[in-house]
Amino acid sequence: MKQLQDKAAELLENGTVNLLIGFSEDLGKRPVPCFIEKAEEANILVFNQECKNNLSVYLHKKEVKDAVKIGLVANIATLRSVMQLLSENQLWSLTLTYLTVNTAGELVVLSSAEELEAYVQANFPTCRPEDKEMLDKLNAMTRQERWAFWKDQLSECVKCYACRAVCPMCYCTVCTTECNQPQWIKTSADTSGNFEYHTMRAMHLGGRCINCGECGRICPAGIPVHLLTAQMNQEIEQEFGGKTGWSLKGGYAMNSFKPGDKENFIK
Amino acid sequence: MAETFEPKIVAFVCNWCTYAGADLAGTSRTKYETNVRIIRFPCTGRIDFMLLIKAFQNGADGIIVSGCHPNDCHYTSGNFHARRRWMVFKSMLEFMGFPTERITFSWVSAAEGKKWADLVNETTDSVRALGSFTDYKNLDFSQFNQMDHEAIAR
Repeated sequence: MKQLQDKAAELLENGTVNLLIGFSEDLGKRPVPCFIEKAEEANILVFNQECKNNLSVYLHKKEVKDAVKIGLVANIATLRSVMQLLSENQLWSLTLTYLTVNTAGELVVLSSAEELEAYVQANFPTCRPEDKEMLDKLNAMTRQERWAFWKDQLSECVKCYACRAVCPMCYCTVCTTECNQPQWIKTSADTSGNFEYHTMRAMHLGGRCINCGECGRICPAGIPVHLLTAQMNQEIEQEFGGKTGWSLKGGYAMNSFKPGDKENFIK
Repeated sequence: MAETFEPKIVAFVCNWCTYAGADLAGTSRTKYETNVRIIRFPCTGRIDFMLLIKAFQNGADGIIVSGCHPNDCHYTSGNFHARRRWMVFKSMLEFMGFPTERITFSWVSAAEGKKWADLVNETTDSVRALGSFTDYKNLDFSQFNQMDHEAIAR
């Protein structure tokens, strides 16, 4: 921890970064994101297993982008989403430095995209076991049971769009949900439109979602929305190959095709 | 007298192949089911999955999506992109438990007027057997909504 704080202070002191996004302790609760601009404030930084937030979502904010040179105290999911964002040419205006702690508990400083790529590929996260278990359970169900499951779950959705706000890949300035001519998704304060919204969200993240699971974790109604994208990722990986957030070259599965793509349902 | 159920089928077709194929079926005086409503698109690549959902939202019982055969696309690769999208979309819907048998995907070329007529007939028959698509309508929870409205009115 001291090591991390010292390094962060050093980077802020010598001007390598203007703004550092990391985690600070919140009175015995789970660590919360914090934004540090002065070297003397670096002593509030913490980093542990409980630092689950995907901080890369803040990189889309104008206030953050204005700082240009940004340091990120990041977990592996955050690093992976940064990789995906870099491959989608979203962070071209920023100079990023990454601070992370590896599995051996040592501080790792990555100062270039190439270093980041090497680190992410060496420590690539797999599908979380609890998600895998849930996916297998759902896939083993009958169609009617799955429909009932999702109908029950999605009826809890109040369309707060927290899952969209927390997602680093949802960076469109105008979203389909706000589109009103035509209105694709009903905005009324009842459950209509929930099915459309969640299908739309998952489809737009297909082949781009990096499985950080933030959308499911953040949901105030406790809907496991991250399972939709996790299932989709699994499907896309099997059918078309390639992993999201793996390489800087990118290549978005839904943006490309192979003439030999195999399906069995088109008559 | 009880009305017999007639399904509403919406067909999303591409301008260059399937629309021309349907046209051929017409000019050849091939008879086929009148349940289908055809919507013409520039290319299958233009057929957004939200349009399919919108059709169900507005009361469609079945959907046909059809375009040029692979390698025949007027815009070279629109149908290849569409094929990928449908593969993902279909598996997505299946994961959500959506009855994907209500959506028929097909390739119909401009010369296949007969295939188009058969496709429409087959789809209409299968959807007629499946019955009215109430699953989706029930998603609206209109019962609860009705109760809310009544409560508000009171």
